[in-house]
Amino acid sequence: MMTLFDVHMILAILGIACIGGLIGLDRTAAGQFMISEPIVSGPLTGWILGDIGAGIVIGTVLELIWVLDIPIGTFVPADSTFSAICATAIAALGSTGAAGPSTIGFCILLTTVMVPCTMMADTIVRKRNARLADVPCASLILVYAGITRAHLKGLFFFFLKSFILFLILVPAGILAVQGLHQLPGFIQRGMAFFVTMLPLLGMAIIASKLSTTVLDGFLLMGFSVAVVAGTLLQAPLILVFLLVLAVGWLLVRYRDQA
Amino acid sequence: MQSLGFSYAIEPVLKKLYPDPGEYESRMRLHLEYFNTQPYLASFILGATVRLEQDRAQGKNPVADIRNIKTSLMAPLGALGDSYFWGALRPFAAITATALLFTGWWWAPLFFLILFNFWHIRLRASVLFWGYVNSGDPVDLMDRYRFTKMAKLFKVLSLSLVGGIAAILPAWSTTFRPLVPLPGLFLAFAGMLLMLLFIVLLRKGGSPVKLMLGLVIVCLGLAFLGVV
Repeated sequence: MMTLFDVHMILAILGIACIGGLIGLDRTAAGQFMISEPIVSGPLTGWILGDIGAGIVIGTVLELIWVLDIPIGTFVPADSTFSAICATAIAALGSTGAAGPSTIGFCILLTTVMVPCTMMADTIVRKRNARLADVPCASLILVYAGITRAHLKGLFFFFLKSFILFLILVPAGILAVQGLHQLPGFIQRGMAFFVTMLPLLGMAIIASKLSTTVLDGFLLMGFSVAVVAGTLLQAPLILVFLLVLAVGWLLVRYRDQA
Repeated sequence: MQSLGFSYAIEPVLKKLYPDPGEYESRMRLHLEYFNTQPYLASFILGATVRLEQDRAQGKNPVADIRNIKTSLMAPLGALGDSYFWGALRPFAAITATALLFTGWWWAPLFFLILFNFWHIRLRASVLFWGYVNSGDPVDLMDRYRFTKMAKLFKVLSLSLVGGIAAILPAWSTTFRPLVPLPGLFLAFAGMLLMLLFIVLLRKGGSPVKLMLGLVIVCLGLAFLGVV
């Protein structure tokens, strides 16, 4: 264990906890330019840690699964940013060389199990930050200074929450990945198969939230166009997707006019 | 927390409009009251509030009930913004980027950022000024930006792309490749059927976490039996 957590590894974990904490601010507290979305934060973490391939796979899969988990009203959605960064960091730091499919699958599973913990931490910080608006009210003279201070405090609490969670859960995940390599071969094969099935689940989650029917007409149209153009006519994939978008757009126009 | 952000944004205007410290402080306190809406469309309420505060300070509309106007705009704009930005534009950008990744374009995450932010920053800036111009008329906002129509279009295009991706998904592997080979007809239909099964399970009340855990058990079972 001592050789696993050498100075290089400890510095990498501290660095990713800092970067992850800063990226996490984009999720709720500052900017909201979507750098925190898994499809961006996963590859970014992978690039920093030298395994962009794992970051792309983890980011894409988690994006599909959580993209429609919407913060409506007071509902606190799953922290997909934390899941993407944490899973990528564990996969990259827990493997020698590029992470294999079984490690990627296992890391996604680990961060999925962590979702209730991260949601609870998020709820606590949000409730604490909601009380910050009372602070400037108490100050009769320096209202503006109070607001600025309260803002910085709120940002700091959000950062601290992510930073602490990364410091605890990334090393724990790395240890778990080491354990995975000792397990029987069928578990590793199962994990590798799991990760290849996940995008289908992600697509199903999106389709079930965007449409009220199981077999939506547009879903079926997209599938049919892709099968005909891609599988039967062997058209390049980019052309297949452009065709799907064009047909979808024409059908909407036709429906609106009708 | 949004009330803090709102007060922070409007503070320079209030400072200019109300040189009297007592009046300035009472207006700041008003804007520190509870405020919660969709963060991007908060710009519209901010623009409208600046206009109303300006009219009030200049004596053009001294009885404007700014608190009431803010409260009445919060909920509908929250619902509209959630449905448009989180429920339509973001999934569309994400699915388009995913489709690009499947075609081997490794810079698809950057495309996601450009597509989403081009649309959202433009709207965010535009509704701020439009809120100021029309003093916070939500009907005018809906007419000008056609949020509902655009949300429907984004959702339909997203669904079409999901169908298209489902046809090539069985050939996907965790190794990022510049060219994904297309699956045969049988695999494409098998993938689609499996996706429909997932949709049925989700409709029966399954949550993403529960389905993921169930999927792990099935995959481990298949690996144990030597099927995969």
